[in-house]
Amino acid sequence: MSLEISLTVNGKQHRASIDPSSSLLDFLRDTLGYKGVKICCNTGECGACTILFNGKPVNSCVVLAPDAAGAQILTVEGLAEGDKLHPVQQAFIDTGAVQCGYCTPGFIISVKALLDRSKNPTEEEIEEAVSGNICRCTGYAKIVEAIEIAAQRMEGKG
Amino acid sequence: MAKAEYTVLGTSIPRMGGVERVTGAGIFGIDLMLQDALCGGILRSQYAHAKIVSIDTSEAKAIAGVHAVVTAADAPDVRYGRTYIDRYMLAKHKARYMGDPVAAVAADSQAIVKQALKKIKVVYESLPVVLDPEETMKPSAPTLHDDMPLPANLPKDANVKNVCSYTGVHVGDPEKAMAEADVVVDEVYETKMIHPQYLEPRIAAARLEVDGRLTVWANAQAPFSVRTDVARLLNLPLNKVRVLTTEIGGGFGGKASGITSGAAIEPICALLAMKTKRAVMIVLDKAEETISTTIRSGARMYIKTGVKKDGTIVARQGKVVFDAGAYSGFGAMAGARCTQMLGGWYLMPNVRIDGYVVYTNKQVCGPVRGPGGPQAAFAVESHMDSIAAKLNMDPVDFRLKNTPKAGDKIIGVAKLRDVSLGETIRMAAEKIGWGKIKLEKNQGIGIATGSWIEGSGPGGGAIVKVNEDGSATVHIGKVDFGTAPRFGIPMIVAEELGIPVEDVTVTNVDTDASPWDAGTVGSRSMLVSGNATRLAAIDARNQLLRMAARQLEASPDDLEIKDRQIRVKGTPAKALALAVVATAAHNEIGEVIGRGYFDSKAMAEEEKERGSSQPFTTHACIVEVDTNTGNVKILKYVAVHDVGFVIHPKAVEGQIEGATAMSIGQALCEQVLFDEKGKTLNPTFVDYLMPTLNMIPKIETVLIKGYPGAGPYGTKGAGEIGCVPPPPAIANAIYNAVGVRIRQLPLSPENVLRAIREKKKSAS
Repeated sequence: MSLEISLTVNGKQHRASIDPSSSLLDFLRDTLGYKGVKICCNTGECGACTILFNGKPVNSCVVLAPDAAGAQILTVEGLAEGDKLHPVQQAFIDTGAVQCGYCTPGFIISVKALLDRSKNPTEEEIEEAVSGNICRCTGYAKIVEAIEIAAQRMEGKG
Repeated sequence: MAKAEYTVLGTSIPRMGGVERVTGAGIFGIDLMLQDALCGGILRSQYAHAKIVSIDTSEAKAIAGVHAVVTAADAPDVRYGRTYIDRYMLAKHKARYMGDPVAAVAADSQAIVKQALKKIKVVYESLPVVLDPEETMKPSAPTLHDDMPLPANLPKDANVKNVCSYTGVHVGDPEKAMAEADVVVDEVYETKMIHPQYLEPRIAAARLEVDGRLTVWANAQAPFSVRTDVARLLNLPLNKVRVLTTEIGGGFGGKASGITSGAAIEPICALLAMKTKRAVMIVLDKAEETISTTIRSGARMYIKTGVKKDGTIVARQGKVVFDAGAYSGFGAMAGARCTQMLGGWYLMPNVRIDGYVVYTNKQVCGPVRGPGGPQAAFAVESHMDSIAAKLNMDPVDFRLKNTPKAGDKIIGVAKLRDVSLGETIRMAAEKIGWGKIKLEKNQGIGIATGSWIEGSGPGGGAIVKVNEDGSATVHIGKVDFGTAPRFGIPMIVAEELGIPVEDVTVTNVDTDASPWDAGTVGSRSMLVSGNATRLAAIDARNQLLRMAARQLEASPDDLEIKDRQIRVKGTPAKALALAVVATAAHNEIGEVIGRGYFDSKAMAEEEKERGSSQPFTTHACIVEVDTNTGNVKILKYVAVHDVGFVIHPKAVEGQIEGATAMSIGQALCEQVLFDEKGKTLNPTFVDYLMPTLNMIPKIETVLIKGYPGAGPYGTKGAGEIGCVPPPPAIANAIYNAVGVRIRQLPLSPENVLRAIREKKKSAS
């Protein structure tokens, strides 16, 4: 059985036929080719597959693909404008927050969602925003620094 | 050496390869897309210990879309292994853990693979399961490997079985010294199995090429060892196997299957590719990884120490029972390190420690970040506090009293050169506010030290090619997962060649072209590839300067490379573009190819003579214990490290912070749990708890300078040592907070609460 859905990913309209039992993660990666959405736990625990779903961060591995019909999706591939990186992406590079880089896309999306709703996030807000993202390389120190720097730069202070 | 001597070294340049990582490019193993590739999958044993009576694959093979079903019978009758050659790529005759690969399938889709795996009929005859190595080593235990001899160096009176490796540490006369000690403290510590849980799943892909060669893609830490295993297990010469590495999403030793010869999926994938004559790709599921791949072993450690009233340690006796898992894997090496480290890194004149590495029906020990280190340190450094308490001595003073100095020896190091241990202790004590900070009720302060030896192991090479435009392409045998290859290595080339760092590219490993290397393990990227790269870059520079010298009519010694030009020092007008000289090489020497090799034997010789400068560390923390729930919150954490010269400060801090956080996970929550049949109870991330940001405090990293190591410019390995002190630092802080000494990891709410209740019970 397959189902045809349309949705918008990174501003681009897609129409594709899907297996209704497939996850949004598999659909984005395998059917539409958005490899920046990373596979890891497949249980909604690690945050590697985080995307913005109508502006809200979600783990795409625990969303059924048909539920994305008509949705506006943002993946990490949709953040940079041409060669110009989004301030969050740039801050992750500048602070050394990218080690292996596998958790990075999910973190960046969670952080973008945070900074969209809170321009000067507190320590608690930062902790809450990325508490669903696991990083096994950095110990989080440089990631927190990246978030703080990105916030400052987006406010024109950095 | 002062930082000012260098142009690039000592600065934190943006990580090479950062842009593709933050923009989500499909660069990792899991993103690999091979045209017309079949999906591969592995059937794993449902028994932790069983005879394999028969395997019927006919039904599976009959399914439409299935291209191959393979078992041990389809592969050459060849085993592999590191300490012992004790394992088949697919279990033959016997399965020894629940997760042991038994058969594999290649099919058109993942769904068909799953369907086919279910249709493979395996008849097992179950055998008694042994999970606790101390039980397994008893003469009455069932035999796990019928044809493996006991280690030749076992003590004569050992009376054990299922032991795959033994390490004895003997110094002086510990019995006599123990008898003469004023105070003796005798304890038993235990750590549990931890999974490295890198985020990117392991993959393997293989394709039989038209010329009969086999190409293997792997997100592997030790690609040359993958090549060795694949060639060995398929009876192929090494020149018929090419291993290409992808970008790698974390490893921590867990992706070093080639080194471990444990749980390798690449040979299985290669076998499927040979059978189907098609490209095949295997992707492991996270739960499948947790039950099948290599792990950090648990250890039980008996530790007894004699001290004089003034705090001088006079003797240590101990025993380590280290879990190898089902096959020898990396157990011998990790167990030996754990045994050695149980002797501590303080002055220790009389020692006897027996270390037994024992087979059990669990997955295999791998070289997980500082293998053996956190286990030993948990015992050694908790024990140090127990002794200090008995002596009524301050833990910091007690440690400083027994700290070695230059020229002294410690267990495993015959002669120390520069000893930073004391300085790290003093610095950590100062930064945490030792003896000064006022603690609230149920808050405690703890300190623990650590050391790590990154010296042992083979050498490795580097090739620096200077292209016609003056840019450089670097080939090393180590892979990048956020360690030296794309942080410090390109900086070394930029520094030595006098070119901007953006003109340097470090390639992924291709075993056809890259210099041989033992693998990205053991905190050795900088030591091995850093030293080799530096020599290769110098070699390339000398070739360039010699050619330029003839044209500029100057001595090569009077030339320098700056701003992409080779010029006469002090006379910048007398210059040639680097690109012109590099291009002219085509007519003179063919190409500028600098070669370098890190000579581990020469290093060992030099250290024998001059002594070696080990990395040392001290961590200190303040915790708050919730006596109602047992929850431990870390309020402040300081990590002081001597890592020698620092090439890239942020990269080094990142390694330390990452290792510390991983080890805080082991200290507070992580463990792989088994039921009595050997089934993993917590295979998914839902049940296997790991630290997120809420558990990890802001780690204050302090880098101590002035103790040069054996790496290039005096660096020391920094990737693993951060894992060593966290468990005992936290355990010591808990003791300080609520007066309970917990001798078993993890220091989870459940275990802490139990300890608090037991203490209350015994008090009333």
